[in-house]
Amino acid sequence: MHLLVASIGFGLVTASILAIAAVGFTLQFGVTNILNLAYGAIMTASAFLAYAITTSGLGIWAALAICSVASGIGCVLLNRAIYTPYVRRGTGLFGMIIVTISVSLVVEFTLQAIHGSSFVSLSLPATRSYHFGAMVFTGLQLAIIAIAVLAMLCVHVLLRYTKLGKAMRATAADPVLARSCGISTGRVIDLTWLVSGAMCGLAGVVLVINVTSFDTSTGGEFLIPIVAAAILGGVGQPYGAMLGAVIIGVSTEVAAGLFDPTYKDMVSFVILVGFLLLRPQGLFAEIATQKEVVA
Amino acid sequence: MSAAWQFYFATLIVYLGVDILAVWGLNVQFGIAGIGNFAFIVFQATGAYTMAVLTLGPPPVGSFQQYIGGASLPFPLALLAAGLVAGLLSVVIGLIGLRRVRADYQAMVFLVVSLIATSVVNNLTGLVNGPAGLSLIPKPFAGLGFGLVSYDWFYAGMTMGVCAIAYLFVRRLTRSPLGRAMRAARDNEHAAAAVGKNILGLRMTAFVFGGVLAGISGALLVAFIGAWAPGSWLYPETFVFFTAIVVGGAGNDLGVATGALLVPIVFLETTRYLPNFAAPGVVDALQWVMVGLLSLAFLWFRPRGLIPERRQRFKPDPATQRRPAPVLASGPAAGEKVGLDD
Amino acid sequence: MTDLLSATDVHRSFGGVAAVDGVSLAVEQGSLTGLIGPNGAGKTTMLGLIAGALKPSAGSVVFDGHDVTGAGPTRIARRGLIRTFQLSGEFARLTVLENLIVAAPSQNGESIFKALALGGHSWRTQERELVRSARELLDRFEMRPKEDEYAGNLSGGQKRLIEIMRALMAKPRMLLLDEPMAGVNPTLTRKIETHLTQLRDDGLTMLMIEHELGVVERLCDRVIVMALGKVISEGTMAELRGDREVIDAYLVG
Repeated sequence: MHLLVASIGFGLVTASILAIAAVGFTLQFGVTNILNLAYGAIMTASAFLAYAITTSGLGIWAALAICSVASGIGCVLLNRAIYTPYVRRGTGLFGMIIVTISVSLVVEFTLQAIHGSSFVSLSLPATRSYHFGAMVFTGLQLAIIAIAVLAMLCVHVLLRYTKLGKAMRATAADPVLARSCGISTGRVIDLTWLVSGAMCGLAGVVLVINVTSFDTSTGGEFLIPIVAAAILGGVGQPYGAMLGAVIIGVSTEVAAGLFDPTYKDMVSFVILVGFLLLRPQGLFAEIATQKEVVA
Repeated sequence: MSAAWQFYFATLIVYLGVDILAVWGLNVQFGIAGIGNFAFIVFQATGAYTMAVLTLGPPPVGSFQQYIGGASLPFPLALLAAGLVAGLLSVVIGLIGLRRVRADYQAMVFLVVSLIATSVVNNLTGLVNGPAGLSLIPKPFAGLGFGLVSYDWFYAGMTMGVCAIAYLFVRRLTRSPLGRAMRAARDNEHAAAAVGKNILGLRMTAFVFGGVLAGISGALLVAFIGAWAPGSWLYPETFVFFTAIVVGGAGNDLGVATGALLVPIVFLETTRYLPNFAAPGVVDALQWVMVGLLSLAFLWFRPRGLIPERRQRFKPDPATQRRPAPVLASGPAAGEKVGLDD
Repeated sequence: MTDLLSATDVHRSFGGVAAVDGVSLAVEQGSLTGLIGPNGAGKTTMLGLIAGALKPSAGSVVFDGHDVTGAGPTRIARRGLIRTFQLSGEFARLTVLENLIVAAPSQNGESIFKALALGGHSWRTQERELVRSARELLDRFEMRPKEDEYAGNLSGGQKRLIEIMRALMAKPRMLLLDEPMAGVNPTLTRKIETHLTQLRDDGLTMLMIEHELGVVERLCDRVIVMALGKVISEGTMAELRGDREVIDAYLVG
């Protein structure tokens, strides 16, 4: 029992990281219909940027801010320079898988060529541990949870109360109709990639705050749980992605704690395959028909 | 030519043959039938493991290798078995992944299947010795008195022989009505069903055919190099084959063979021997970068590949005398020949 | 005469909207029946339900004495009920000639054993025959010069011809035609009309969605009118011209 509750505690931290990443992923996927498999590699790039920033003396908060902004801008450029041109050329859904995987290879292995395959860690201030019953959190982990909650609130405000948010929801629901209602879908798409990229970058830094060390493949290993959470929650449903993150984050840690840690990844694998085959619309979306890719 | 160069070239030819078999398999699945099988490497690995556990003897007690099987079968039998087992696995995975889902979701399903396979093999160490993999796999026909170098040439010749036999079958499939039906299902699933084609049956046939080729490819590879571990078949390896197909020409047997020559062999194998101008591992990392860039470049500039799918033309009728068209209410009178410019 | 096809109280909704809302219709054997109605009437959906591309949520479809409700498109096509598509029905990366010959049923070259020549080269003879029949059709529709062209490169009107020819190659007992004249020039339209009449006279049963009423009047023995997911009237064109409901539907729809 003690172990179970402690595992749930770890699960909440993982869920927080996953939530930031999955919400960013699903917002972009919902609007543009592109399965961005380079997402994990971009998280890694962000993590290494944070590493460079923190080792040069600037604090972790500066790193969080800079990496989020840099990733956001980077993703807008990625879409404009690579994804959109391919889509305009007629590359279909499968072709875009090849494109996004190619980008992820280029990003991850350029990083590896520059940095090498050694493991590094962020230099972080030491914090004390906090006990909540059987759950133990370090100060950093509590900060991660707090950041995640804050990010979720920002997304909520964005979608509900801002013009951009409403435009994003409209474009995700029906891009042709949105365009004929006067929504500048081009700008909406740019801003969607900006938000998605920022969350990707934020998640990348937060991910490596929580690990003892990381290398150039750390972000990529997180990709499947992210996609699993996004698909489980329903394409383009950020609240669904949050729920998906909690389900996957907690169940992964509980499975690792109670059963075999080597099978940790299996939870995400099985959930993803199961939903893609049996319920691709996830828990909260309508049936995902073969929509066109939106660029 | 010195012995070292001979080893090098003979090895390259073996790898080329193995890769050509593999891309032919993936080409039938993807180029002809339109299945984006991102779990392809699993089938090559299955063939390799089958060959390994069938040609090895039973694991001695206390040995560093744990595995199932151990039948000490002769090579030709094990080769056929490798193809068979890979084919059977294709049926199982096909039943999972060949349902009607959107193309990118299907690719993801196969990708995750590949990850699941790696995870299972790594964790069930009793199966095929987990992460350490299998080694000391016996070389086929080793007792026939070959010298070290001549053995490698023999193996290269044998590999090419298997390729030639495989080519017969691949070519027949591609040009047959079955191949045409698969391509129709690829181009327009709904229209193909509307003329009575069994879409799942066609796809499963392509999937199993490709799986068998992958298994034979893996078996030939593992018997040559003598060892096999999960590190040899991680999911990005499938991507190398897809790149070969994109570069060479999806749907064209000679095209993808050219892709196999250019991408895994010329591009990757030969660069392995570049003098290390930087820290070790940089060249390996850059190779992956280049694979990604190659894919992007060809998808942009020449998505149909270097040697695109050929259209099938049929010989004209031997008799140029055309029968008169049947009587039409407003057409030419019966008995009049109908020309092309009417 | 018997009804070759009959549908009874068929229902189908999409996202809460009833596209087909209790449609019953019957097509007499040997007739060329028209299916008309304003946009959004549910005609193409109904065709899809009959052809097995969609499953009805309620109701039944009987073809040639067999209940084919909910059977998939493959099985229904193999019974001889062949449909054409209004848009994007061609096999884009196959040639025109290949588009036709692939549609022929019962090709022994489609078995894996025969294809790999493990059972002899018996499919070559059959393929030669199919090529010959396909070329005859191409001649009749004056598409022979295009036989080696990729079907994806054809014009819209040419693609409609491929649809019809391919459907004929599939040895149909009944054709479901979805706007066969859309995008075809008037001269060719007349030729297609002639050909369809000929087919009807030869005994082929057809149900045709068509929006050009002149065509319907010339070709169709009977006409079924749909609007808003229901059948609102049926009869000959002459009868329908005087029908108030039909006129209203067309003015409003």
